[in-house]
Amino acid sequence: MTSVPGRSRSADQRGSDKPRGGGGTTPVPVGRRPETAADDTAAGGLTPPAAGPAHGVPYHGRGVTRRQRPLWMLAPGGVLMTIVIVIPLLLALYISLLDLDQYTFREWVHAPFTGLANYLEAVRSADLVHSIVVSVSYSVLVTAITLPIGVAAALATQNRFPARGLVRSVFLIPYVLPGFVLGVIWRIILLPGGVANNLLGHFGVHSGLWLNGPRSFWALVIVQSWASWPLMYLLVLAGLQSVDITMHEAAALDGAGWWAKLRYVILPHLGGPISLGLLISFLHNVNNFTLPYVLFGVPSPHDVQVLPVLTYVESFQNFRFGLAAAMAVWSLVLIAVPLAVYLRVVRLDVGEREGRRK
Amino acid sequence: MEAKRRLLCLAGAILLAASLTACQSGDKTPTSGASTKLDGTGKTLDVFMGANTIYPTQQKQWFNDVAAKFKAETGATVTFETFASANDELQKIQTSVLSGQGPDVYLLGTTFTPTAYATGAFLELSADDWKKVGGRDRFLPATLGISGPDKDHEVGIPFASRPFVMAYNKDLLAAAGIDKPATTWDGLRDQAKKLTANGVYGLALGYADGFDPWKFVWAMDVQAGNPVVDGKKARLDDPTSLTAYKTYLGWLANDHVVDPASVGWKNAQAIAAFGAGKAAFVPMVSASSKVTLDKSAVAGKYAYALMPTVPPGETSLPSGGVGAASILSGDNVVVAKYSKNKDLALGLINMLTTADSQDAYYKTFGDLPTNAEEAKKLQSDPALAAIVDSAGKSKNTPFNGAWSQVQLALLNVVVQSIPDLSAGKVDENHLKTLLSQAQTTAQGALDKSK
Repeated sequence: MTSVPGRSRSADQRGSDKPRGGGGTTPVPVGRRPETAADDTAAGGLTPPAAGPAHGVPYHGRGVTRRQRPLWMLAPGGVLMTIVIVIPLLLALYISLLDLDQYTFREWVHAPFTGLANYLEAVRSADLVHSIVVSVSYSVLVTAITLPIGVAAALATQNRFPARGLVRSVFLIPYVLPGFVLGVIWRIILLPGGVANNLLGHFGVHSGLWLNGPRSFWALVIVQSWASWPLMYLLVLAGLQSVDITMHEAAALDGAGWWAKLRYVILPHLGGPISLGLLISFLHNVNNFTLPYVLFGVPSPHDVQVLPVLTYVESFQNFRFGLAAAMAVWSLVLIAVPLAVYLRVVRLDVGEREGRRK
Repeated sequence: MEAKRRLLCLAGAILLAASLTACQSGDKTPTSGASTKLDGTGKTLDVFMGANTIYPTQQKQWFNDVAAKFKAETGATVTFETFASANDELQKIQTSVLSGQGPDVYLLGTTFTPTAYATGAFLELSADDWKKVGGRDRFLPATLGISGPDKDHEVGIPFASRPFVMAYNKDLLAAAGIDKPATTWDGLRDQAKKLTANGVYGLALGYADGFDPWKFVWAMDVQAGNPVVDGKKARLDDPTSLTAYKTYLGWLANDHVVDPASVGWKNAQAIAAFGAGKAAFVPMVSASSKVTLDKSAVAGKYAYALMPTVPPGETSLPSGGVGAASILSGDNVVVAKYSKNKDLALGLINMLTTADSQDAYYKTFGDLPTNAEEAKKLQSDPALAAIVDSAGKSKNTPFNGAWSQVQLALLNVVVQSIPDLSAGKVDENHLKTLLSQAQTTAQGALDKSK
């Protein structure tokens, strides 16, 4: 049984899956190791003679493998990425330099080139800055709210109990509902004189307007939290299931209470899934268009003017395609910076090295 | 050698013949079709129009009927595509215009026609083109008001007319001793005050509607002599605009003649409230409200009337004011410039705007005809009198490619005033700030207009 290249960390840990001739030191290209090793010998010269195929010493082998990796095999993926990501991105960058509007978009290639004018206009307009603040703050809040809920739900459904499957499925309902349906339902609930206000009225709270004004921000936070916590739950649940049952047994034998078990046995294992969950959740919230659009409509109330809706209004209502593209690029930059920092910190991008270390 | 040369010659001849016939079949059909009878055998005409949510099954039937009739007349196939919302419509137009392929014929809302014209993607109708759709004289003059910037540059062929009126509850008015609806906005407010009692409100409004608010403001502005867009100058911050907003928002905040819940309502909910007998008037409704209302609790107890045409604070139309009863509303048909079947498209439009077709369309969907002959017939129907009257007194919104942006700016003022309104007040300073922002936005859009 040969492990598939990829996440073979656990296989390595167990030590039961020694790849042929590789020595099991570098886990990622496991399946290909015999070939590269053969290449090593064939190429000769380049590596010190010690790098024999029998004892795969990692430090020697790596330089050569790096150079001679069959990178061309990445070509299909590369082509796909170029078509799906790179070309549209370049197009967006190009459009952001044009004065493209309803008068010019029929022959958009001939639209006047305006350089960075769109970028300057976007920054100067108070709208962009305002919607970045709204988008980021609501996304951070939602992420912070959904984390404990997701972890708690995953822990609650970790152990077997009757109807666990049913409960797990029910937990996923908010997540599988289409954003549009969800928005319409919550809109009806939050209307003035709607279900929410009547319910709160029973408790003597007269809440007033939810879909406009300052409270609309909280409406967005609440609804988005409700809709997105299952994502966190799913990721944590997956993380929990990778914790070996023997760990639980050992902890139990040592007489650890539930808190000690959670704190010292389970949570350290959840670091990866939770970091990933936080990241995905944040990006998901920042990019969410459907929910705010359906809940509040356009033009959106000032307190919930999120970035995607602003970009939408600029391009599809005001026909300022160039300006909207510039706004989109600004928001990309703004997201990319913290994202890069975050990726370094949680080391999601260095899975390979981490795997090798163990 | 000889054999080879002969073969080459033959091949060349065949190729030439083939390309010649190809040219012929490409060129000849349209010209011959235009002169005598259209021949669309083997051709497909794609029509893009809004989905009718009130009569979905009838609309499907209508599609089939039109397709069958056109097939019989020309041999061409007609396919229909529908859009559910104005945004779908916009995106479809944008992608089609960009890619140069898509539907041949579009049915557009009247207020969107200027924007469509600005893209330059639709056929400007020559005298000859007008002839092919039955002549410009076929249509009610008022409905041509938003077909183009002037008579020589028209893209839109009027297809349906949906002027706005107000519905009133006859029983409630009679009980309050009001013999007929007011013709001034101040008068309407006073009547509404009188009618507000026992859980019934004078007016039903949809403050959260995506269109209604700007239509009120526009009407009041125009009546007070402010065209909102004057050439290339935006006039959103005129005192008349402030008065219009204060009046519209004040009905709820100061006069208390509107249900406070209506800060979250759209037009449909306002009609529903009126239908439940909870309001005496519902302004800014079209003939299509008849379907809902005839099935409601007020069936048989309501009637339509013109909306007031005298601006707030006045007792008669001031000098310079235009007594607009409604925006010029309905559908225009446009033909895409990229269409390869222009004559067929015009032939279809010709078929759809005959008196008979328009009669059938009106009877099924309730949209008024744009065909002058057919409209004349309907004038005698007392139930429709007010609506037909309004059609004649409708005024077009400014014909400018930036109108969509101006409209959005007008609407945005109301959206951002909703929190104040919900707190029961109209904050004049906040309103002024919003209006000056709207003015800047609108002026910016107009400056860019060509």
